[in-house]
Amino acid sequence: MKKIVLRNILIVSAIFIVAFSIMLITNYFQVRGATPLQTEVVETLKELNDTNANNPALQEQIRQLDLLARKAYFVRMDHLMAGVYILLGMLAVFIICSRFYFARDKDIPDKAIDPIDEWAIKTQARKYVIWGASGLAAVALVFVILSSPYLRPSQTGEQHKETEHVSLAQEDVTYEVIAETPAPVPTETEEDTPAEETLPIAPETETTETPVAEAAPQPAVSKVTHNAFRGNHSNGISSAKSIPVKWDLKSGTNILWRQEIPRKGYNSPVIHGNRVFFSGADEQARELYCYDLNTGEKLWSLAATNIPGSPAQVPKTTEDTGLAASTVATNGNQVCAIFATGDLICADRDGKQLWAKNLGVPENHYGYASSLLIFGNVLIVQYDNQNAPKVAAFDLATGTERWSKNRTEKVTWSSPIIATVGSSPQLVLMGNPAITGYNPNNGEQLWRVECLSGEVASSACSANGIIFGASEYAKLVAINGADGSLLWESTEYLPEVSSPVATKDNLYLATSYGVVASFDTQTGELRKEHELNTEFYSSPVIAEGRIYLFSNDGKMYIFSANDEFNLIDSFETGERTFATPAFTDGKIVVRTEQSIYCVIANGDGVSL
Amino acid sequence: MKQNDENRNSPIARRKFLRIVGSAVAGGSILAVTGGLVYKAKGRQASHYWQIDPQKCTQCGRCETHCVLPVSAVKCIHANKVCGYCDLCGGYYRSNVKELNTAAENLMCPTGAIARKYVEDPYFEYTIDEDLCNGCGKCVKGCSSFGNGSLYLQIKRDLCKDCNECKIATVCASGAITRVPLDFAYKLKD
Amino acid sequence: MKKILTSISLLLPTLAAAQNRFPKPDFESGYQYPDISYPVPDETLWVTLDLILLVVLMSIVAWAVIKKRTRKPILWVSVVSVAYFGFYRSGCVCSIGSIQNIALALVDNTYVLPLSVFLFFMLPIVFAFLFGRVFCAGVCPFGALQELVNIKNYRLPKALTAVLGMIPWLYLIFALLYAVTRSSFIICRFDPFIGIFRLGGDLGLIIFGGLLLLAAVFTGRPFCRFICPYGALLSLFSRVSIWKVELTKKPCINCELCHNACPVDAIRAPYDNKVKESRPMGVRRIANYFILLPLIIAVGAFLLQSVSGDLSRVHKDVKLYDLVVQNETDPQDILSVELEAFYGQGGTIEELTQRYNAVQADFRLYAAIAGALIGLVIGLTLINLSLKRSRKQYAIDQAACVACAKCFSYCPQNKIKPTNLIRK
Repeated sequence: MKKIVLRNILIVSAIFIVAFSIMLITNYFQVRGATPLQTEVVETLKELNDTNANNPALQEQIRQLDLLARKAYFVRMDHLMAGVYILLGMLAVFIICSRFYFARDKDIPDKAIDPIDEWAIKTQARKYVIWGASGLAAVALVFVILSSPYLRPSQTGEQHKETEHVSLAQEDVTYEVIAETPAPVPTETEEDTPAEETLPIAPETETTETPVAEAAPQPAVSKVTHNAFRGNHSNGISSAKSIPVKWDLKSGTNILWRQEIPRKGYNSPVIHGNRVFFSGADEQARELYCYDLNTGEKLWSLAATNIPGSPAQVPKTTEDTGLAASTVATNGNQVCAIFATGDLICADRDGKQLWAKNLGVPENHYGYASSLLIFGNVLIVQYDNQNAPKVAAFDLATGTERWSKNRTEKVTWSSPIIATVGSSPQLVLMGNPAITGYNPNNGEQLWRVECLSGEVASSACSANGIIFGASEYAKLVAINGADGSLLWESTEYLPEVSSPVATKDNLYLATSYGVVASFDTQTGELRKEHELNTEFYSSPVIAEGRIYLFSNDGKMYIFSANDEFNLIDSFETGERTFATPAFTDGKIVVRTEQSIYCVIANGDGVSL
Repeated sequence: MKQNDENRNSPIARRKFLRIVGSAVAGGSILAVTGGLVYKAKGRQASHYWQIDPQKCTQCGRCETHCVLPVSAVKCIHANKVCGYCDLCGGYYRSNVKELNTAAENLMCPTGAIARKYVEDPYFEYTIDEDLCNGCGKCVKGCSSFGNGSLYLQIKRDLCKDCNECKIATVCASGAITRVPLDFAYKLKD
Repeated sequence: MKKILTSISLLLPTLAAAQNRFPKPDFESGYQYPDISYPVPDETLWVTLDLILLVVLMSIVAWAVIKKRTRKPILWVSVVSVAYFGFYRSGCVCSIGSIQNIALALVDNTYVLPLSVFLFFMLPIVFAFLFGRVFCAGVCPFGALQELVNIKNYRLPKALTAVLGMIPWLYLIFALLYAVTRSSFIICRFDPFIGIFRLGGDLGLIIFGGLLLLAAVFTGRPFCRFICPYGALLSLFSRVSIWKVELTKKPCINCELCHNACPVDAIRAPYDNKVKESRPMGVRRIANYFILLPLIIAVGAFLLQSVSGDLSRVHKDVKLYDLVVQNETDPQDILSVELEAFYGQGGTIEELTQRYNAVQADFRLYAAIAGALIGLVIGLTLINLSLKRSRKQYAIDQAACVACAKCFSYCPQNKIKPTNLIRK
């Protein structure tokens, strides 16, 4: 009788345990994917609320959902624990009952399993051991073969090369586009250099067949970007085509659109796709703007507010520097801006703030002016100031600091550039007293040449692995990027604010007292000079084989970017201009003292 | 060997001899290991407890999900003496917050474990309700990127099981979790 | 006034430290900082209790097996052990896992071994050396749990168990390899029962533990026999233990009754050793294996050292190195949290490469040793399986016996106790 009761309890509890375990496990798998505290619905709603404030219905919905999620989270915790305790209790019942039920059962000898002959067992076991051991050895051997150096390098080596090539090609779209330029400009030397190496000698290259050229010969949105101050990699070279050569604000000739700038600033516009980015600031607000390239319509603006650590009072800056002298940087997906308050903000292309931080107010007697630069997925900030000069790289997505290197250069107004030496990128920073090359991936210092003095505002440029830097009251130097050796130096003409630009053969620079000069990049010999009796703060940019240069009073000078270095044309544009213009296919975006405008090429713009 | 030869014909004696040798080896090895370890550990404090180094922690969020306990033994700890008592607290509010109130759409903590109390203009006191905290580290990330870093994650000694191998430590992205001696069982900021 | 002060002080210290962006507030309302303390619970009491209980329980088992020759106390020890060491203390640090701490402490000077861990490791070994594997009998919560759920004792073919019995050794060797290279404590990571004792944890392991328990219902102690590395270690000592577990104090009458009682197959039947094979041939086989032994060891060492690169992937630095190298050759837009932490901490490839190379060197050395040990285990197993032993009576294999005392009640000789006779 007792035995029957026990047996029934056993059966019931066994069924219960199995069923309950299966339930718990399936439940686990069901809920594992959906942790209530991280439901996407609430997150997206919250994000919606961020961009679209003052929507009570939406807010109410968020609150309800949030409450629901929290409830679900804690209730589930309780239920799970309760379930486990029930299971454990039933298990205990099962075990106790089984002990009593089977208490009298004894294990009786059972010879059928093994032959009684121990030797036979051992013989068989030996066989199994040998099989097992050889199995293990075989598995190990497979691993050995798979990871053998003879098999691997050939495969991965190739992949290696391929990815390297692809990444290079992606990163430097400009270079490829340069290569595919139909070359309407006079070509002197017919050289057939590989695409990656034709850094600034673009117009001299013959059309090379690249996949990009085949896939999209004439994209609707120009692929030519102008991602930072003085173009991609801040090098003063643009690969844009069909660039306007004549315009006038007064008569509106070739002006696509013109907008008054909301807040002033000496930073330059940048272009990516159909968007123009720049920033502006005054005592009231520091703002990042996005305008449509085709219509001039203001798409969005983002104010740098609510940033912890941001000073209550803006630091003192001089009239000719201001709070927004630093040019923004973009990669199309993110755009970052920095202000003289030390506020660094990063937004996505639609103006949603991704992150923001204050780097500490930079102590700078004119105002912080170094522009930003994006390399890969990091934002590089040259933060030379009186207190704690450093160069730092921040993760574009999150704003976390990837690396940071202290610098000895105190206050600098110069901007970082990326130079390509061999096939590897170098981050080049100028300052008093040195020009320094860093590895942009980790901030490791590659070389350092002490050659500057005074207040350094001009930035470096590079061509063909040579880095050029110059500053007023110091000298013009050419540095071999491979080893940091000084190739030559000159003191003939030195820029003060404007930065030089170089091709493989020639270096061009504009001084603040009106002289524009060209030098031989190999020897440093002065090739040609133009006395223009004006002031240059804006930097020259080479595009389509021409050098575009604004004087402070708003006159545009166009030179030929070759050994002749002829002044092709010069004309008044109408407004005082200090910023460097941004170039894309068929368009130039110019920021003047009061406005930002876009110049478009008319039909015959190409033939000059 | 000689002994072996002598006993060749008496397997029992040989086994006995082998057993004595075996016992001696076993006993000897016990003593040797004990002695070696005692000598090595002498005068040093044993490292036994797992703890997070807040300086290294990157708030990857794995503390919440990888602890062997149903609710992680990692909790957020608030160092009042480091705190700036800000009105706009990066740990309490989401970024881009529009209004500084307690509405759900403005708050960072997914479980509502941070309580905020007005102290005096412009200061607010923040406290953590440990029972609600699940160690996700969202507030820590907010506080360390926007504030003083007074919120940080620690393994609560009274909750931690002190697993021989801490599961979070094996997945910790920054290697911030290490064994520490009892005297340093917490790495507190203040 | 205050505002100005605030803004001034804001300007100054912000650059000095990334932390402390905001100054310490200057409370005017007499606000006091709340006094929050984080006490560290005093574990010494518990640990002392653990150790006392460990010794007491092992002593009870030893007394029950060697002296009293009865199973009942062991059953109660099992219940106490499962309840206390298992469910209440949640099983850490256990003796099985402590192997790794000992190994780590022996090679790593920076790691200081807690005394309690040392005792958890050494006490069962000392007891095994004195009385056999009394720890396994019921003091180990894992063994106790399997013992408690066991109903039937279906036996597996002996040839199979002989092979499966090598797994604990391999597991032990790999556990040591990963412990001394500071990679991972795999015994703890893949502990099948800890999730059950803690009522939560990795689901995969809990299911594995559940299946093991299910198997334990029908066959004796699968974990102890085919997985437990500490059991393998203890078997070395129980083999030469001073007091041994005996089937019966009286002469065996070869009744066979005990043969199937043993849950771990530790009772060997009498064998008259009438092998058809000639003696010289057997001797030659043994001699061959002895000659082969160094070769097997060398092959094992070579093979495992060759795969040391793959084995080392468990190590965190190696994983990180692979990630970083991959990222350096092909930079990703969105970094994994590991990479973010690495770059965020200002880690450099050079320093990481150094660490990586050190780990690789470690692995090359220890993997070779581990491979040699595996070869040794395989070779010795083969030699052991080639030995011909005659036996006149049923006898206990001291290495495998877990001192559960089940067999005692099967032996008719044990029943004829003087007291029983008198009562009858």
